[in-house]
Amino acid sequence: MRRYIAHQLVQLVVVILGISILAFSILHVIGDPVTLLLPQNAGKEEYERYKHLMGLDQPVWVQYWKFASRAVQGDFGKSWYGNAPAFGLVIERMPPTIYLTLAGLGVALLIALPLGVIAALKRHSVIDTLCTLLAVAGQAMPIFWLGIMLIIIFAVRLKLLPASGYGTWQNFIMPAFCLGAFLAPLTMRLVRSGIIEVMSMEFIKTARAKGVGERMVILKHAFRNACIPVVTVLGLQFGQLLGGAFITETVFAWPGVATLTVDSIRNQDFPVVQCAVVLLALIIVFVNAIVDLVVGLIDPRIRAA
Amino acid sequence: MVRAAALGCALLLTLGLLPVAAHAQTKEDTLVYALQSDIDTWDPPGSVLREAIILGYHVFDHLAVRDLKTRKVIPNLAISWKTIDDTTWEVKLRQGVKFHDGTPFTSKDVKATFDRVLDPVKKMIARGNHAKIKTVEIVDDYTVRFKTDGPYPLFVERMTAQVMESEKVIREKGDEWMQEHPVGTGPYKLVKWSRKQEHMLVRNDDYWGPKSYYKYVRIRIIPEQATQIAELISGGVDVIKAVPPDQMDVINKSGAARTATSPILRTAFLQLDQAARSGPNPFTDRRVRQAANLAVDQDAIIKHVLNGLGDRVATAVNPMAFGWDPNLKPYKQDLDRAKKLLAEAGYPNGGVDVVFHEGPPTVEPAIQQTNDAIVADMTKVGFRVKRNYIGDNTVVVARAKEGKLGPMFNWSWGYYSVFDADAILYDIFKCGEFYAYYCNKELDDLIISGRSSLDQKKRAEIYVKAQKLLFDDAAYLFKWGLRGVWGVSNRIEYSAPPDEVDRMFLATPRKK
Amino acid sequence: MAIGPDAAISAPRFEAAAAPALSGAGWRRLWRLKWGMGGAAIFLAIVLSAVCAPWIAPHDPLVVDIRHRMAPPAWMEGGAREHPLGTDQIGRDLLSRVIWGGRVSLVVGVTAVLLSSTIGILFGLAAGYFGGRLDWSIMTFINVMLTFPFVLLALAVIAVLGPSMPNMIIVLGVTGWPVYARVVRAETLALREREFVLAARALGGSHARIVFRQILPNLISPIVVIATLQIAQVIILESFLSFLGLGVQPPTPAWGNMLGEGRVYMLNSWWIAAFPGLAIFVTTLVINLIGNALRDWLDPHMKL
Repeated sequence: MRRYIAHQLVQLVVVILGISILAFSILHVIGDPVTLLLPQNAGKEEYERYKHLMGLDQPVWVQYWKFASRAVQGDFGKSWYGNAPAFGLVIERMPPTIYLTLAGLGVALLIALPLGVIAALKRHSVIDTLCTLLAVAGQAMPIFWLGIMLIIIFAVRLKLLPASGYGTWQNFIMPAFCLGAFLAPLTMRLVRSGIIEVMSMEFIKTARAKGVGERMVILKHAFRNACIPVVTVLGLQFGQLLGGAFITETVFAWPGVATLTVDSIRNQDFPVVQCAVVLLALIIVFVNAIVDLVVGLIDPRIRAA
Repeated sequence: MVRAAALGCALLLTLGLLPVAAHAQTKEDTLVYALQSDIDTWDPPGSVLREAIILGYHVFDHLAVRDLKTRKVIPNLAISWKTIDDTTWEVKLRQGVKFHDGTPFTSKDVKATFDRVLDPVKKMIARGNHAKIKTVEIVDDYTVRFKTDGPYPLFVERMTAQVMESEKVIREKGDEWMQEHPVGTGPYKLVKWSRKQEHMLVRNDDYWGPKSYYKYVRIRIIPEQATQIAELISGGVDVIKAVPPDQMDVINKSGAARTATSPILRTAFLQLDQAARSGPNPFTDRRVRQAANLAVDQDAIIKHVLNGLGDRVATAVNPMAFGWDPNLKPYKQDLDRAKKLLAEAGYPNGGVDVVFHEGPPTVEPAIQQTNDAIVADMTKVGFRVKRNYIGDNTVVVARAKEGKLGPMFNWSWGYYSVFDADAILYDIFKCGEFYAYYCNKELDDLIISGRSSLDQKKRAEIYVKAQKLLFDDAAYLFKWGLRGVWGVSNRIEYSAPPDEVDRMFLATPRKK
Repeated sequence: MAIGPDAAISAPRFEAAAAPALSGAGWRRLWRLKWGMGGAAIFLAIVLSAVCAPWIAPHDPLVVDIRHRMAPPAWMEGGAREHPLGTDQIGRDLLSRVIWGGRVSLVVGVTAVLLSSTIGILFGLAAGYFGGRLDWSIMTFINVMLTFPFVLLALAVIAVLGPSMPNMIIVLGVTGWPVYARVVRAETLALREREFVLAARALGGSHARIVFRQILPNLISPIVVIATLQIAQVIILESFLSFLGLGVQPPTPAWGNMLGEGRVYMLNSWWIAAFPGLAIFVTTLVINLIGNALRDWLDPHMKL
């Protein structure tokens, strides 16, 4: 068990390091920050002076070291558009995205679990195909489209929900549904395959079965088994969600970090992008680590190791 | 043990910052105003954004303001003004006015405000507006003298374009603090600013002027236009601006809101980099610029794409501005002449490659559709336009300032709500100004003499010459004066402001 | 984008991997795959229409006609037969643009998947076969890539290279490989210890021979299924990138940028965004049907 945890921790550190290096280097490859900040007619002297001022004339690894050592203390520099500290900007907008993602995952499960179970039980039948199609439909429909349609129906026509914004629990419903629909297909497939696998095991076990007690045990195992891949992938999905979250946040005027990150990349606002990417990675890795821990606790195969 | 730790972490994450219930304001005492993009700073002289001007009007006051009905400049923080001699203006200030922090408003605040804006080291955006003011002298607590660099006829107009900030704040807190903490004398105070999300303003009950009806004004940033309109017709927002002409029927048919239009000072055009600020490009040749102007059928675009909501102009001077020449007729589409001009300029088979930087529709609605039509027309005569869309207005403005948006980009100018030709000629056409990509010494001379004479007749003549010069030289690709379109909820009374400054403090509930 | 950590691990199933013969049992199997066949038929129609776009599209998708902008589809009031699906915000024919737009989606989808599957297979084989340090580094790399938000990577790369179709293919191809690598690695790990592989080693076969002759053929089933499903994924991602303005640039029609341009019109001229959206929807759905059918045909026990 301890080895497992240690192993996870090492993975965590390595991945975060890798991501920060990747983020750092990508941004420096994208463009020359000095040229971006200076007016067009700035002379060569001014250019060199600024470069020195920003510390960009030093070797890359020195720059990275400076960035990393300051980052660890929470100092990611100031945004180039507005002078607010990058860290503050990102942290301020983190919670709405996290809550949205959690809510979206919740909705995805709500859709995927029943569909997956039904599809698994009625495998290879029409119902199986229909369930799959239903789950896939959520992702095939462009999120943007779905979002606006929901707003038109529930906010404008029926006046049941607020059209956009952040603050009350009603604000969560439509955006969470959009994201959830986006996540449902993959989750559903996993639930389906997990249950199928267990069912096949069940046949073997019932061959040796001796009564109701065994059935309960199998049911417990069925769920656990189905949960493992689902939980693992949900952890991974967290990271891939930025794209879906971005559109959802834009449509619903959700003050989240996804829009901040995408906007900052477009604006080439380096400090904010670096901060956002590193913090997001931290959270994702953290979530994955917890997930792996949970899986380790559930899955007897790993516990035994 | 590990389980507990994991569970604990998960709980912490969830509980951490659950959305707290918003302020205890109700629908009756709150007005909700939507913006497409947020301001960059709450220090108005530091921003060129229209949104900053609008928000500035709520928290700050100006020395003088425009009466929306008569369009004349009337007293505000200044109660009277007169010229002492050709280069001196004396202004008497209103007494009994207090800043939001309690400090009384006196002449030292006026001096501190202007000194700061005019400071050549600080390089504030608003500096160009008031560059003719040399010094500000305190005569007594409520009297100020402005010494100008030569006669300054626009002094009165320009008083409506500068908010008065607190000397104490400038001295004690400094520029950075002021970006997020506006301390003004205005009808509202800033309570909270969540960047790119919303602002919350609360009524200043000690305001010296008329009390506004709504206790709270909530300014929501909603970037998606479709969402803004949905919010308006579902009752979530009370006022939206820059409604695309194509969506007006959605609002008017909804029964919950209506549209209000007004011609506004804002004039749109495409800047062509004649001054080569971004480097060499085809538009340094006058024939190419003329060809561009001749290629586009602007009238059809106004009629079909804007549904008639635009006023064609020959140059960038707006019909509502002093100095506009009604006798100058705009370019008419002439594809053959355009092609001929391009051939003369060295492009006999077309192939003129230009990059077109486009911005978001935050102040100029339907900009993407009109751009599509313009590019299609330009392509007909041989331009090869490569389009580059910049999604954030702050970035567009920043890059424009640094000279990086050539050879062609969208621009519109609201004149800082000063109804005078100088308000656009200086900032947009004078060589070397932040947002000017045109350089012509002859024009510069005209601009300087235009703003140096107190004789309005003489000034009008100068501006006629200036407009002819701009037209003949095809300085930019000229388009039209905008008509502002606002969406207003049926629960409030609010009229479209011709100076493009939304004033939530004038809104009142609609009588049933 | 991930299909599942160890999606195809469990018991090796090469025994069932042989393609079925078309005997009576074969025809019955095909009937069971009727959904897949139906899907394949529709997909074929989409591909054909995209290929034959220059001949079947009623108008030039680029011609601007502002006098007839926002015309509704032919069956609605104000519509004309000339423009069956209506016109967009500057008067271009919608049907033609949707047909031409299919080219972008299909080309990008297939090419990007070819690219990412190739990269993924190579990495997966290397990791699974050689194990040890190489495996560990590749796995870490995979974890980093999966954790790093795709959008950022795409935005960053396109910011450097500029938005265009080839660059989009590169981005989508280069970011999509971890999915394949994971599965291939897991399979390779399991296969490595099988008797026929050990036998080949004992007989002195080189690594390359073993990998490509013995191991790779057994991976075809899961790879084909994953690749098919990924085409649908990539089409959605491509539409997302075009929507953001990072993909194919207007005026070239692509379903994604048509959606982006039509977004503000959804409240009244809904057809401008509805039909490209429908196209994406149908295409993605149909590809999923095909993928499901392939899975059932090649190996019904596959965990996908």
